[in-house]
Amino acid sequence: MLFPKKYQPIIIAFIFIIISVVILSLNLRQSGETYLPRKLVLEAVTPLESIVSSSIEYLSNIWGRYIFLVGLEEENRKLRKKNASLQKEVNYYQEMYLEGMRLKKLLALKGNVDYPSVAGRVIGINRSSVFKTILINIGTTDGVRLGSPVLIDEGVIGRVIETSWNVSRVLLLTDYNSNVDALIQGSRAQGVLQGQGSKGCILKYVHRSEEVQAGDKIISSGLAGVFPKGALLGTVTKVEKKKFGLFQKIEVSQAVDFSKLEEVIVALPDEDDKK
Amino acid sequence: MIYYLMLPIFSLVLIVFQTTILDLFFLGKMGFEVSLILVVYAGLHLDVMKGGILAVVLGFFLDCITGSMTGFFIFIYVVIFFLSKVVSSRVYPEGIAFIMGFTFICVFSKGIITILIYYFIYDVDLSHNVLRIFLPQALVASVLSPALFPIFDRLEVLLDAQSSG
Repeated sequence: MLFPKKYQPIIIAFIFIIISVVILSLNLRQSGETYLPRKLVLEAVTPLESIVSSSIEYLSNIWGRYIFLVGLEEENRKLRKKNASLQKEVNYYQEMYLEGMRLKKLLALKGNVDYPSVAGRVIGINRSSVFKTILINIGTTDGVRLGSPVLIDEGVIGRVIETSWNVSRVLLLTDYNSNVDALIQGSRAQGVLQGQGSKGCILKYVHRSEEVQAGDKIISSGLAGVFPKGALLGTVTKVEKKKFGLFQKIEVSQAVDFSKLEEVIVALPDEDDKK
Repeated sequence: MIYYLMLPIFSLVLIVFQTTILDLFFLGKMGFEVSLILVVYAGLHLDVMKGGILAVVLGFFLDCITGSMTGFFIFIYVVIFFLSKVVSSRVYPEGIAFIMGFTFICVFSKGIITILIYYFIYDVDLSHNVLRIFLPQALVASVLSPALFPIFDRLEVLLDAQSSG
């Protein structure tokens, strides 16, 4: 053996730490395509997450609709069962109606935008405290590329940060790593909208001389070439000017309620851009 | 050998369970990381090779599923694992009070490492989350850890029995 047995654990520990540091630093430098192991994990996890999500929904439906009926009189039970089944049918039609309405809105949005786009469904939401991302069921085979902007009719959601063949991960505007070039709609003052986790967003680098008020709309400037110009990002909720400093502190509430996302539109790169 | 074959499947299922069902229990307000408690357990009970690989695999899957850059959780989990390993060689790691206290320290340390990585790499200050997220997270993990350690014990025994059988 190269090393005495006594020191082997220390050497193995050292090797593990070195490996993890190397992986971390390599990934810091690379910000390009999602590589194969991550794609494979994403593809493997998607059906697993779908099964878990649908099971949870099924169980909560059973709990809500049937368990509480046990112990009631026979006739009452039959009537409630019938009522439940009718209710289920109504719910089904309502769901279909609402889905139709949402798709109609999406189609209208697709018609309004002057760039190619593709619609996708949200299949997973990362609810962790620090990372704010969602998974959608479209990937590179549908034309989605890294950095593609993701929106709905109410406004911008975020941009694609990871793509696999059939799945993509979207970085929400509220993630700490999200920075978007923005404009205040009224005054046209420029700034950078940065995510603040569950606290929403802040608009940075707006000069203290600019007049900003709560309720002002924040739109994308289109400067970085990621988001289309004029897309709604959020609304100013609080403005704070300190005694000193060049800039003012502007808190922004995002335009879209991320907890209720179901279908989204992903803007695709132009054919010219691809070339 | 069975341990290394089962490891990726078990880890993936655990991480999916953690990021879907457990997140629902906590309403997305606070991530409860069973995987981190498992890494602490591995540090106190498993040998360096088995535990180290477990920490790397769990970290990698968590990186993939949460969307963080690859290496973020791998690094944190490997550090926490070896911190536990160093402590395990100096104390008797079985008392409930010790398990709770040590899990608290490890989970809280994970929060601090997260803050430091974000500060030095992304220039983002997450320190305001210490009292709001990381401290409650460490408290919940420490309270639940005495219930989880016996489950991990049984799993370890089961895998050992299959390996020797």
